[in-house]
Amino acid sequence: MAERNEPVAEGVFALRCQELKKSFQGVMAVTGATFDVPQGMITALIGPNGAGKTTVVNILSGMMKSDSGHMQIGSTDVTNWESHKIARMGLMRTFQLSRELGGLTVLENLLVAPQHQSGESLFNIFFRPGRAKREERENTERALEILNTYGLYDLRDKRSRELSGGQKKLLEIARGVMASPKILLLDEPMAGVNPALIDRIGGYIMDLKAQGMTIVMVEHNLNVVEKICDHVIVLAEGRTLATGRLSDLRANEEVVHAYLGEVINASTTR
Amino acid sequence: MSAFWYYVFTLVFFLFDYFILAMGLNIQYGETGILNFAYIGFVAVGAYITGVTGMPSSAGTGQQYILGWGLPFPINLILGGLTASALALVVALIALRRLRTDYLAVVLISLSLVLYDVINNYVPLFNGADGLYNVPEPLAGFFKLTTNSFVPFFAMLTGVVAVIMWWVMSRITKAPLGRTLRAIRDDDGVAATLGKSVFRYKLTSMLIGSFYAGVGGGLIIQFGGSFNPTAWLPGETFVVFAVILVGGVGNNIGLLVGALLVETLLIHLPAFLPSIPGHPGLIEYIDTMVVGVLLMVMLWFRPQGVVPERIRRSPFTLAKRSGQTLDDRAVVVPVAPVEITTAVGQETTNG
Ligand SMILES: Nc1ncnc2c1ncn2[C@@H]1O[C@H](COP(=O)(O)OP(=O)(O)OP(=O)(O)O)[C@@H](O)[C@H]1O
Ligand SMILES: [Mg+2]
Repeated sequence: MAERNEPVAEGVFALRCQELKKSFQGVMAVTGATFDVPQGMITALIGPNGAGKTTVVNILSGMMKSDSGHMQIGSTDVTNWESHKIARMGLMRTFQLSRELGGLTVLENLLVAPQHQSGESLFNIFFRPGRAKREERENTERALEILNTYGLYDLRDKRSRELSGGQKKLLEIARGVMASPKILLLDEPMAGVNPALIDRIGGYIMDLKAQGMTIVMVEHNLNVVEKICDHVIVLAEGRTLATGRLSDLRANEEVVHAYLGEVINASTTR
Repeated sequence: MSAFWYYVFTLVFFLFDYFILAMGLNIQYGETGILNFAYIGFVAVGAYITGVTGMPSSAGTGQQYILGWGLPFPINLILGGLTASALALVVALIALRRLRTDYLAVVLISLSLVLYDVINNYVPLFNGADGLYNVPEPLAGFFKLTTNSFVPFFAMLTGVVAVIMWWVMSRITKAPLGRTLRAIRDDDGVAATLGKSVFRYKLTSMLIGSFYAGVGGGLIIQFGGSFNPTAWLPGETFVVFAVILVGGVGNNIGLLVGALLVETLLIHLPAFLPSIPGHPGLIEYIDTMVVGVLLMVMLWFRPQGVVPERIRRSPFTLAKRSGQTLDDRAVVVPVAPVEITTAVGQETTNG
């Protein structure tokens, strides 16, 4: 974990956004989100409820169009691209409120994720069945390995709508991982799960980082941020308030005033 | 051939034909979640095109219609299916990309009404309200069939077509393509963030389903020898919906059961009952009501249908693949947890 608190300023950025704005019928949800996400690290996106974190994730994943601003993945400008095209650039996301594909089994949820499957084309189904089958087998084996890692293996043939809340959280991450993304956006992956599972999910996220993935996670629990995140973006009232290491942010009065205050006091007076 | 067998084979024909129609609507609604309330319109287009491409030129027939190419069966039938798909392509390009499921449903209802009015009133197209008649019986000359032997022959032929189309559909629904369609049905936003072009797949589903609609319609006009607007009142779409909802959405065998229960037993069998004295046509109305009631009862008590969508289990397991153990329980290789909750001395349940 030596590299965890390395400075990130001169690093390569996996994702950059400038002055993203979004309003809903007059409600300004995002008023100016500008930040860079360092490659290969775990970045936390923090801020009070209603700060616009989920809206930013929605814009980044193409599910919502921003009113203005720019975003780029690597060196490609992907501003307001459709979500499936952004996904193909290697960006995957999970949802704050789990959105499993309920009628599909746990295993099928993962099997949907790989891009450009041969068996998804009518032509291949009938004229290259061998290739489609071989690929399906490889994908299935990989999906089973991932389910095994995430402790969902025994649930593989269960319809995913029947899972518990925590299991759905795990499934969301596993499904994202199955797509082999370069960047994974996690919207509160640890909300509503028990402490032991928080530790486990923390382990998974560290492991993904070790595999070279860039992670952005929305998180309210500063213990989590402290333990596993390299870089922090603070969002308040729809705009970026500060970015940097958590320790630096603790020294930033504006940030402490806007968000960290009570939480920091709570965790440091122990 | 006795009247009894004539009736039986007519029922058999409609069983197979509605099985085909149900498969087409099922891939759109049951697999992809597209509420195609204009489905019967695609059936009608298939029927008319199969008719006019198979019939000789309209001159001297006393009917007005386009084309009149005199093509042999099954070329005209395939053209009927393809034309229905072509119509689906146009509809999809206009409405499918932009609209949410519910708005699309409303647009499709309107489309079905417009299509109906145009075909019913614009006589030069398909002979207007009179519709097409004297449509030649396919292959009758080739097999030297009489009017009597044509009915069982064509019922069985439709069975063969249905089996082929069932085989094709099973391949599609079992393949990753089918799974991606079901992912879109369950949550198209998630499917999109997983890199699936929702529009492309919905379009594919519309095209396949409409081809099935068109072929099903083409078989109807070839079987009966005539087709006019009373055969495809826009409400007929709901009979096909009833077939798939009663039988079981997302299950091909369920669709055959649905076709048997709804189409054969409820819609067509009573048509052969003697009419209630003094109330001609009453049976048909009661019929429609029975279908409606059945639909409500099913949706209330057994929404998954008689034969529910089955769980698609994987043939592979980790243990079997690696040959480590005979039972297929997972060998959990967890990633080491990070001490987050325990490190700060918070209470944990089992950490
Ligand atoms: N679809 C929507 N329609 C209208 N308003 C919305 C919509 N989505 C978000 N908002 C508003 O935008 C603001 C930001 O919401 P957002 O969900 O992004 O906050 P958040 O930072 O994720 O909060 P939380 O920590 O509670 O998840 C809120 O005021 C919310 O009411
Ligand atoms: Mg949120």
